[in-house]
Amino acid sequence: MFILDPHSSVPIYQQLVEQVRRLVVGGQLAAGTELPSVREMAQEHTVHPMTISKAYSQLEAEGILERRRGKPMAVAEQKKGHSSRAARLKQLEPQLEQLALSARQLELSAEEVIEQLKKKLGDRS
Amino acid sequence: MSEATVSIRDLGKSFGGRAVLSHISSEVRPGDVVGVIGKNGAGKTTLLETVLGFSPPSSGSARIFGEDCLGMSAAVKARIGFVPQQDELLPTLNGRAQLSLTGSFYRHWDKALLERLAREWEVPLDRRASTLSGGERQKLSTLLALGNRPDLLVLDEPVASLDPLARRRFLQQLLEIASDSSRAVIFSSHIVSDLERVANRIWIVREGQLLWDGETDALKQSVRRLHVRAHHALPASLGFSRAPLSERRGPDGRTATVTVRDCSEQEVHATAARLQADIESEGLGLEDIFLEIHA
Repeated sequence: MFILDPHSSVPIYQQLVEQVRRLVVGGQLAAGTELPSVREMAQEHTVHPMTISKAYSQLEAEGILERRRGKPMAVAEQKKGHSSRAARLKQLEPQLEQLALSARQLELSAEEVIEQLKKKLGDRS
Repeated sequence: MSEATVSIRDLGKSFGGRAVLSHISSEVRPGDVVGVIGKNGAGKTTLLETVLGFSPPSSGSARIFGEDCLGMSAAVKARIGFVPQQDELLPTLNGRAQLSLTGSFYRHWDKALLERLAREWEVPLDRRASTLSGGERQKLSTLLALGNRPDLLVLDEPVASLDPLARRRFLQQLLEIASDSSRAVIFSSHIVSDLERVANRIWIVREGQLLWDGETDALKQSVRRLHVRAHHALPASLGFSRAPLSERRGPDGRTATVTVRDCSEQEVHATAARLQADIESEGLGLEDIFLEIHA
């Protein structure tokens, strides 16, 4: 179901995260679909089990998968709007970090930056 | 956290005044598969053998399951499996006899596991070691190290003579061990693509030092190759905050290929602006990282 290339410059866990994310967003993996266990995935692709569990944990944190007691990981109910808010905010984190760093380098105050950011966000809506 | 499987502190080893290892510190934890890579003569074999207490370190120390490697108890030794680069099979014994001889030194010896693996790996147990091929010898030598179901398995170049199918089966066995999460594996190999697959951590040994000790994923995320292009000659130093791992200049002096470690995107942007150049950033697989480090 998944194509993992260990020799890619993209870490294996990241490849898995991106593929699951795409399949869930694209609707190919419906809510409730069970994923292979960490052990099965690791054996099938001959990769370290930690690599798989790292990907699953990240997907769980993003609300894409859910861990159920005594059962395999499954695709979580994808609620549009509020519940995936945290996940969407997380996607923005690299840009926010970059913005914060640039602002510090340019010695701009938080207020000034937020003011500009608000204007930008306002323009778009 | 559980006890470290191996703990290495400032380890050094010299032969006749020549330092082969210096200032090596690291830890191996249960569940780890540590892949060791380095050029020939970098010190990989010396590192593995010194950690296992084959000869005393010149400085520092190594502990295995909490015991100093030079004074390990029989109980700790019984939890270790080692596959040397050169096998130590007895030429006149057949495979089955080799296995039972080695097994006689251990209280716990998993004969059923070895019989199963011998079938799966196609090791002819009824032939004398002297008549086996290089690959068959390696497989038999690995079986010898697995019989005590070691909590620490150390392998020095175990796969060099194995065909791709045998290698894949062997790697699956290593993962089986690592899945146990109380057991750990350290193995050195020149087949970087194997390590990239199964190792969650990488040690890069260069000139007797640990140049990298960390997660395979983190290594891939940290090292990048930058292609710098300008319309004018580039200065002698590109001014990166950390010395690049490698740097090559184009013939006209206007281009450079630089491999950097832990260089943020901000720094790349700032460098591009300062040099008035275009910089394209490229991620690398483990083999390319290895080559760049040794370029």
